[in-house]
Order: sequence, then C-alpha cells, then structure tokens
Amino acid sequence: MASNPALFQSPTLTEALDLLAAIPGARPLSGGASLVAMMNAGLVEPAALVSLTRIPELRGIRVTADGGVIIGAATRHNEIAADPRLCGTAAVLPHAAAQIAGMAVRNMGTIGGAIAHADPGLDFPPALAAAGAVVELASAAARRRVPIREFFVDWYATVLTPGEIVIAVHLPKPKPGVGLYLKHARVSGDFAIVSVAVSLARDGEAHVAVGGCGPVPLASAEADGIVSSDLSASALAHAGDLLTALANPVDDVRATADYRRLLIPRMLARALNDCMAASRSVA
Amino acid sequence: MTQSVVGVVGLAAPQLEAAEKVDGSARFIADLNRPGMLYGAVLQSPHAHARILSYDVSRALAIAGVRAVVTGDDVQTNWRMGAFIKDEHALAKGKVRYVGEAVAAIAADSEAVAREAAAAINVVYEELPAALSPHAALKPDAAVIHEELANYIKVFDTGSAGNLCSRTSFREGDIEQGWRDSDLIFEAHYLTQAQAHVSLEPCGALAEIDANGRITLWSANQSVFRVQANVCESLGLPMSRLRCLTPRIGAGFGNKMEPHVQPLAVLLAMKARRPVKLVLSREQDFEMVRARHPFDIRVKTGVKRDGTLVAREVEVLLDGGAFADDSPGVLGYALLMSCGPYRIPHAHCHGRLAYTNKMRFGAFRGFGVPQITFATETQLDEIADALAIDPIELRLKNLKRQGDRWLGGQPIASCGLNECIERVRTASGWNGGRHRAGSAGSRRALGMACSAHISGLLSTGAIIRLLEDGSVLLNTGAVDIGQGSNTVLSQLCAEALRVPLDRVSIASPDTDGSPYNWGTTASRVTYMTGISVLGAAAEVERKIKEHAAEILECSAQDLELVPGGFVAVKGIPHRRVGFAAVSGRAHWAAGGPIIGSHSWVFDQKTVDPKRASVVGLPFPQIGAFVFNAIVVDVEIDETTGKSRVERAWSACDVGRAINPQMVEGQIEGAFVQGLGFALFEEMVWNGPQIANPTLMDYKIPTFIEAPSELYAIIVESNDPGGPFGAKSVGEIGINGVAAAIANAVNAAVGVRLRRLPLTSERVLEAMLASEQK
Repeated sequence: MASNPALFQSPTLTEALDLLAAIPGARPLSGGASLVAMMNAGLVEPAALVSLTRIPELRGIRVTADGGVIIGAATRHNEIAADPRLCGTAAVLPHAAAQIAGMAVRNMGTIGGAIAHADPGLDFPPALAAAGAVVELASAAARRRVPIREFFVDWYATVLTPGEIVIAVHLPKPKPGVGLYLKHARVSGDFAIVSVAVSLARDGEAHVAVGGCGPVPLASAEADGIVSSDLSASALAHAGDLLTALANPVDDVRATADYRRLLIPRMLARALNDCMAASRSVA
Repeated sequence: MTQSVVGVVGLAAPQLEAAEKVDGSARFIADLNRPGMLYGAVLQSPHAHARILSYDVSRALAIAGVRAVVTGDDVQTNWRMGAFIKDEHALAKGKVRYVGEAVAAIAADSEAVAREAAAAINVVYEELPAALSPHAALKPDAAVIHEELANYIKVFDTGSAGNLCSRTSFREGDIEQGWRDSDLIFEAHYLTQAQAHVSLEPCGALAEIDANGRITLWSANQSVFRVQANVCESLGLPMSRLRCLTPRIGAGFGNKMEPHVQPLAVLLAMKARRPVKLVLSREQDFEMVRARHPFDIRVKTGVKRDGTLVAREVEVLLDGGAFADDSPGVLGYALLMSCGPYRIPHAHCHGRLAYTNKMRFGAFRGFGVPQITFATETQLDEIADALAIDPIELRLKNLKRQGDRWLGGQPIASCGLNECIERVRTASGWNGGRHRAGSAGSRRALGMACSAHISGLLSTGAIIRLLEDGSVLLNTGAVDIGQGSNTVLSQLCAEALRVPLDRVSIASPDTDGSPYNWGTTASRVTYMTGISVLGAAAEVERKIKEHAAEILECSAQDLELVPGGFVAVKGIPHRRVGFAAVSGRAHWAAGGPIIGSHSWVFDQKTVDPKRASVVGLPFPQIGAFVFNAIVVDVEIDETTGKSRVERAWSACDVGRAINPQMVEGQIEGAFVQGLGFALFEEMVWNGPQIANPTLMDYKIPTFIEAPSELYAIIVESNDPGGPFGAKSVGEIGINGVAAAIANAVNAAVGVRLRRLPLTSERVLEAMLASEQK
C-alpha cells in the first residue's frame, strides 16, 4: 500500500475546490469505493485527499420545479437504489444502482466517484447514458454541464480537467414508462461482462446504452431513433448491430471480446422485450 | 450401531469456538504479536525459469529498520522438503522455477520497510526456457526443471525422469478382454482448470527463537506436525528444536497442509534473533501457495447393451507445477477413484504428473476426485442417453454394494450409496421428469452424479487426562481449521466417558505436548482421531473402574460408567462414586494420575496383489469409503448461456453424523465450492504469469449464486469400524457437483461440454453451434 496521503476535510465546496486547485496531484475523496481500492492496488498515489463527505450540497436527490431530478455527486448507491422519485423512464438508474458490487460498496460508494473514474466495468455509465443525464462539473474557476454521452472519453478518462470534480447529475423529468438495467456478470457483484440499460417511455421514446464493451458506454442517436419508432425483432436486431459496430471490447478473465459482441444484440433484444412486458403489466 | 447414552453423539452442539468467532475475539495468525516482533516481506521471482547468478542485498540492508535478509545462500543444497519427493528448498536456491516464487525474504521493523527492502534487493538471473504446460514439459527437448531429480529422496516408487514427476497405474481384470466383451465403447477427452482455495484467511507464520536456540512457530496450518517436519527438513534442524503451535485457522481446503511461509519465518527469526511475523497478501496467497490441479483426462468405457459396465480405461495428465508437493498423492488417489462406485470388472487407470514452471499444485478438497468425477460421471450420462436408460437406473444397475471390493481390492465395510441415490431421487421428484418449466427466456432440467471418498489413512493419536476434579482434558494434535473437529472430538470423548460435553476441554495442538496427528486433511479427523479418542477413553474407563472397584469394594467387571461422571455397580445405580473421588484417589493415594492414550496407523491395504497390479502407489494404506449422490436443478439463460443452480439435493453416507449440524454445514459448503468449480472459478495464466490473482478478477460464489434451495441429506450406514459408526464428510460433497451440473446443462439445452468451468460463454457458444447443426 502507498504511504498515507494528507486528508483534508472541507466543509464547503468552495474550499474543497480551492484545495484541489492548490495541491497538484490531490484527489477528491467521497465514498472511496473506487479510489481507495485503486490506492490499495497501487494504481494511484494521490498527493493529498480532499474529502467531500461533509459538503451538504453534494448530498441527496432533489426534484426541480420543471420536474427534473438532480442527484448530488456524493449521493450513495443505496440511496439512489431506494429513491421512489427515480421512477418511470428514470427507473433504469435505481435498477442499476441496486446491482452495483455488494451491499458494503453500495452503502459507501457515490455516483460522482463512480462516473469520475470512468471505469468501463461500472454500472452507472450506461444507465446514465440511457437516462439522458447531464453531468455538472465544477472547479475553482468555473462550472459547466456536459451531456453524459460526451463525458466519457477513453479507458478511465473523462472530460474532467485537473482540479475539476463532478458535483451533480441532472436527469430530465422522468416520463411514464419503464427503465431497466440488464447486467450479465460471472457472479453477483462482479463487473459486467455486458450490460444493457434501457429507458422506454410510454409514448415510445426509447434510449439504450451498453456497458462493458469498450472504454465508454455504447450509445447512439441512430440506435435510439430505431428503437423509438419500431420494437420489432428486426428493428431490435438492427439497433443491436449499430451498437455492436461501436463496440471496442477486450479479452479479459471475464470473457472474450467476441462473446461480448455476440451478446450486445441478444441482450438488447432481451432487455427491450422485458421492458415491453413490464409496460404491458403496468398498463 | 452403538446407541448414544448421554445424547452427546448425534447432538447438533454449537461449535465450541462459536462465541469468540461471533464477537471477533478469535485470534488468527495475523492477530498474533510478540514483544520485539519484526515484520517479514518476500521478494518474488519475476521469471518462470531462470538461474540465479548473484544477489546484491547491500542496498536492502542499508535501509534503516531492516534487521535481516535471507536468500538461497542461507540454506544448504541438501536441505529439501516434500511430502512425496523432497525437491523443495525453503526458498529458491540456484534457480527460480515459477513466477512468484520466493527468492529472498526480509525482516524489518515495519511491513512497509520490509517491502521497501525487498524491492531494493538486486538479483541477477540468467533466463532459461520455461515449460508452461505438462505437454510441453514432457517433450524430449523441454528444459529440465529439476536437474537433480534422480538424487532426490522419494517415499515411493515414483518413476521420475526428466520432467516426469511421477506416474501411477492400476490394472484389474483384463482390459483387452473387457473391450472384446463390450457391445459399445465410449471414449472422450476432458479438461479441468486450476481452482484457487480462497481461504478466508491468507497464509502466514510467526517464529520466535529463545536464548537457547529453541524455536516456537505459530502458523496458519492444517497440521502442526507437517509444519514441524517441513521446516526441519528445509532448514536442517532436529525436530526437537522446533515447537509448532496453532492459532485459530480461517479455513484450509488443503492449501495449509504442506508448507507455505513457515520455513521463511523461521529462517528470518534465526538470522534476526527476534520474533518475525510474515503474512502473505491475498495476491501472494494466490501466487505462492498452491491450487487445484488442472487435469487432462481421457475416459474410455465399455458397456453391454443392457447397461452393464464392462471395462474402463482412464488416462490422466496432471500439471504439478514447480514442486511435487502433494501432487503424486493426488494423481494416485484420483486414479484409485476413477472407476467410481461401480462394479467394472476390467480396468486400467493410469496417468502421469509433470513438473512445469508454474506455482505448485497440491491438495484441494476432493484431492483430484472432483476432476475425475466430472469426466467419468458425465460420460455415464452419455452412455445412459445412448442406451436410452434413465441415468439413475444405469447407476443403480452397476453400483458397488457393502462387501464388494474397491478398485485395488480393499473390501467396502459399509455402503449407503443406494440410499443416497433413492433419497435424492425422491426429494427432487426425478421420476416426474428431468425437464422443468424455466422462467421466460430460459431452459431448465435436472442432472445427477455419484461419487465416493475415503476417511482413513496414516497415523494419529489421542491422550485423555482425568484432572483432579474429575473433569476431562482431551489432547489430539488435530488442528481444527474451522470445520468443527474440536467440537466433534469432544463430543466423542464426552459420549465415551458418559459426561456432559461441558465437562470436556480440548487442548490446542502443540508438537511438544500433543500426540502425533498427520493432519486435518483427507477427510480423516473424525474417523482416524475419533477412533483414537475412543481408544484413549477406554483406557481411562478401565483405570476409573480399577479405582472405583477399590472404593466400592467390588470387582471392576461389575462396574459401569453412568451418565454425569459416575461409576456404579451394574444394576445398583446408587452404589456409585464420582470421577472427582476416583481422580483424587489416583492423584494423592494410589496408582497415579489417570491418563489414557491411543495411537494407530490406518493399516488396511489399498491393493490386494491377487486382484490388482499397481505401479507407483503413493498411498498403500487408505480406505473407509463414503458415498454421495447429488441431483441439481439448473436453469440456463438462453440469452447469455449463464447457468444458475436453482435447487440441489446432496445426500452423503457419512457413516454416522456425530454432529448433524456440522455435517450439513460441510455438505452445503462443499456444494457451493463445487458450484464455483463447475461454473466460473478459473485461475488464468497469461504466459507464465497468473492473470487473476485478486478477488476482483477471481470470483468465488456469493450467497446469491448458492442455490435458492440446498438440501443436505444425511445417510447413516454405521460403519462397523468407525467411532460410533462415523466415517467422513469433509470432501465427499464436492466431488460430484461439477458433473451433476454438466449433466443438467446437457439435459436442459442439449450441449455436452467436456471442459470446465461451464462459463456462460462456453455454454452459449455450444448452444449456438448445436442450433446450426
């Protein structure tokens, strides 16, 4: 294990951002589910840790006047999994949250940390891509908003710049409909071999994304357009092929790249069929 | 069957150590500390095969807080250890033979300093070609892994040569005649993978040397006596110089039976003249200890059209890794079990074990039988399908029965397998049809398998002392590795002396004070040590009666033990005397303190030379057979190919359940460990390097993967030789799991996979391939 870096406990976001700007190599620490594991494995050696856990504005879920949902970056996975306001098309998010790792990690891990590390095996990136999320970022200098589909750049890389952190995730107003996160892993709590996230509105609008098949979640407006207008087997196959073409999976100890490619259309069809079945049972 | 008199045998008594494990006060190796203790670290080999040309430890020794560095130069060439072939030094000497092997070790004031020092050691290597598979290792031009193999001490006729570590062959009947007598012959090739033990507690050791040079060693272990033997062999010490003790053990499954870092901890303590604790990280535990052998298996079976088994040939090739360890035993034992619990008149079961440039493979729950059973029990299902016979009926038709002889010729003293099969057949509703309605998008079916195991081998003892107050101290030397042997042996002792369980305490194993016990391994403690406990108790009983006869003025023959710690005149219960009075008389007046002892070695011959011809037999005396039948109900997701065991029934003939709750725990635990072996556990090598030596990348089943319904069914055949009829349960429950699951997968989706694990990827590929046919 690396030597123990200094830990700063910031009471306000401004102070935390100032510290991150002032100390090169400092990393923000929230639940620690990703960062501490990476430190234990010797993958990162932060110069300092700036704790975000005592900053109230980063915690919790709020509904705005227009019905949109704001999830503070330090909101824990289990809080998201259990929140009834994340319903309808937004239900993909709690469904994914409930399948992250194990109970201990879900009690500690936060959504901001989960996406900031851009680990391609994680469950939130595809779920947020299907939910149409926008990520709010802040640094000592500025704040900005980035659509989730533009947030992830490469393996373990995002648009975040040094000193910049995720402070919130914004979701559009949930529509009536269903959200579903279909995860295929060796065992419960493992990283996904392939996962498929779906938001399917009753009005037909659908968004899909695939995890585990490359550095960033797979999603495309074209695929969304197809499944928004046609849910026949051939249309699902077409959308599946489009997403497979975007895939850049690897061979690893979980599965081969070929198997992952093979699963994308199969799991997409399965997930959308499960969504349709769920819509019918709701209706 | 001997009836329980005081109700202690057959009682689901909670584990004696339950409270300390619940409140966290149980102390494992990592929890132990000694005054002035140093911390150890290990430098591991980066090469699979290389000559060590030189060490430079000067930079490491210059680091503040470093107290000792040891390398291969600190051990002599002829100091080698090994259970079957003495081929292994305390750490690499002259050569490294696998990536991860210990090359040097450091003792320092802190773990961080020790690790820093390890990184500061400079070793100059000359790389050698590596043999990374048994096939490659046995090629004539392969690099030789042990140049001195011919000169190593071997405990049996191993047939070692080149990179061939050992070979074994069993022949019974006339195999060529068997093929001629068969109507149909089935032959197939099977592969099984390396499985990691993943004990909750990684391996570690703490050694302390006193001013007289005597050493005390605590370690995570399955036998203080094997630790003593291995450390003394590898460090050239007389065994009397080393005292081995045990803390609580966080499971073993075989990986703590033979050495890990104990010799290194002792070597460091001797050099530093300070106590040294060396505990492996989880990654090092994956890379440096041992794992289940990958098997390459060919099975050929000849049958009559009516399903009668006629002939069986099994040929195996095992990857032994860099050192022999328990591998020759695994090879021999797997072959001994390779006809399964069936009457097969003609058999030839043979195999080879190769040295390779990988971490050693060794003992793991099942000891080769889960691998062999996967091959043989799935082939039986193929035969049943081809003959259109129900798989259970095929097995029943060929089952061995009590009094039959095992492969090799040893008689089977007790056999409850028939009852095991009937119990799982009835409970699972098998006769109602193997196919079940699955949830949407899945297919579901039942599968079954049978297997056997043993309970007895090698030597063991017990000492029982009646203390002054009449309470009882039992000392067996058997390490409880978490499975509950302390409780079970105490139950046997209490029952034999007819005292309440809380009147018996059990001493912690200590090579200075405990009688020899080969180890907590091979499912042997309840049977082997149980017999010694009853033998020692019988001596105590005889001595108690001698004293009581004097006190009560009668003949000892007219006395009996009565429940509660009394001895009374037969038929006149009020004419009695308590153990306290008896023991007081013994301590202070006549005869001396009452001590009972017993020791024995399992002496039934594995092979009857009139029946079988065997070459390279590692276990000449092994037996007391137990049996198992499993039915699983498996659902396969058609989208991904993922299998889920929804329900399982595992019936084990354990002879007699001394503690039914612990027997059920063993059956359930073995099932879930077998489920991981069947479906997803696999150590993967990327060239010479283990690719997944972490719990992030190597996955074991969680409670969510365990069947929703898992029924442990106890069958009691009451073995005439076992303690209160008991045999064993530690391993039997894992042997058939993979085969039963593979048979269910075949029944559900029509694909026959002959390679483990049955990953979702392999199942889906096979499903799609079969659809295209």
